Amino acid sequence: MTLLAIRDVHKSYGALEVLKGIDLTVEAGEIVGFIGASGSGKSTLLRCINHMEAPTRGEVLLEGETVGVKKVGDRHVPRSSAELSQQRRKMAMVFQHFNLWPHKTALENVMEGPVVVQKIEREKARAKALAALARVGLADKADSYPSRLSGGQQQRVGIARALALEPQIILFDEPTSALDPELVNEVLAVIQGLANDGMTLIIVTHEMRFARDVCDRVVFLDKGRIADIGPPSHIFGATANARTQEFVRNYYG
Amino acid sequence: MEYDWNFAIVWDYRAVLLRGLLYTVMLAAITIVTSMILGLVLALLRGSKVPFVYPVISTMISVVRAVPVLVLLVWMYYCLPIITGLKLEGFTTVVIALSIYSSAFFAEIFRGGIQSIDRGHIEAAQSVGMTRGQVFQRIVAPLAFQRIFPPLVNQCILVLKNTTLAGYVAVPELLYLGQQISVRTFRPLELLTVVAVLFVVTIVPLTLAAEYFEKKYREKYFR
Repeated sequence: MTLLAIRDVHKSYGALEVLKGIDLTVEAGEIVGFIGASGSGKSTLLRCINHMEAPTRGEVLLEGETVGVKKVGDRHVPRSSAELSQQRRKMAMVFQHFNLWPHKTALENVMEGPVVVQKIEREKARAKALAALARVGLADKADSYPSRLSGGQQQRVGIARALALEPQIILFDEPTSALDPELVNEVLAVIQGLANDGMTLIIVTHEMRFARDVCDRVVFLDKGRIADIGPPSHIFGATANARTQEFVRNYYG
Repeated sequence: MEYDWNFAIVWDYRAVLLRGLLYTVMLAAITIVTSMILGLVLALLRGSKVPFVYPVISTMISVVRAVPVLVLLVWMYYCLPIITGLKLEGFTTVVIALSIYSSAFFAEIFRGGIQSIDRGHIEAAQSVGMTRGQVFQRIVAPLAFQRIFPPLVNQCILVLKNTTLAGYVAVPELLYLGQQISVRTFRPLELLTVVAVLFVVTIVPLTLAAEYFEKKYREKYFR
């Protein structure tokens, strides 16, 4: 079942064209990795999926519904703030710099979405949030403020915050890039766990080994285009694409 | 230099002075509330993407800030009735003039606070599905408030002290009454001293309370 369809997505900032026409579909339960050099457009593409960035051309469909815009006649008009919000919470996001809200505890960070957006009763939301924290191994840190948590712990809270929304997809934007090397694995282990549970994940990453081991499909972006795509055995092995080979070789060292 | 201080006379007028202090505090309280509300509205409008709103609001703020507050007050008291035919009471004029003046400053404080919020915190709120209003109410406002708290306290103190200008249009605030009494008693030095002390004992506890609140807040979230 196709969950997400990206159709001819372009994104420009002034004269700078970052995405030059991306087509991609993601099936339910699939783990897709975006790899590529800095400036290749992988983060921008991820941010176009939940309309954090509005594509300049093309469209993104979640279960057949255009994200961020809707068709009126044959024109695209922006969706209302409320409509876009409902779509966004189905595509929870995990950020490179965690972006936990510093004035809320770990538990409150996780509860915020269910309580404020989904209007779930406080007690139920609390139980749900605690379950999400337990799933990332941080039930004991529920009452800690983000400033008291390590980077790895903060990112796991970030993942719990995404999980509590019960999204259809989780979008990871370089989830381990801001972490000290010894903290990377605890975060990757959590993501691996989600993958094993059958969640649909899209992961922008520089962790090539992780992409190889966890992803069902890897997308190699180069200068705003999909230069290569396929299962890890293709990208990290059989591919005939010279750019992919060069990039992968550089990263493996 | 010899001067024969006589505070006994001041004591005779304690009721009048306290009434003046009460008036001053009331004037300041009303002005602070109205100018904060007005300032917040201006700050939010200034950030709006509707055409012309931004230049209009920022010009208004620049103009109001450029006029000395006393000039604004006296002008509103004497010129506005001539232009509009509307004669307002002294008290109302003072509240309006001080509110307009202070709101320009509050607006800039609020805008600074709102703009200082890390994009990432806003994006995280958007990503969990918050609407624009929810993002502001749940994330931006509390974080900005913590940041702008010191300048906010500062501005409130300025408003409190600016109320002394109300005397120019015969509104019986503390300094005005002090001057009236000094004219009658020929004791300006004593009265000025007492007025100064009364301002200090009003403002310093507020400052201390603000510092305490800020310390608690920081300890709680940002240790």
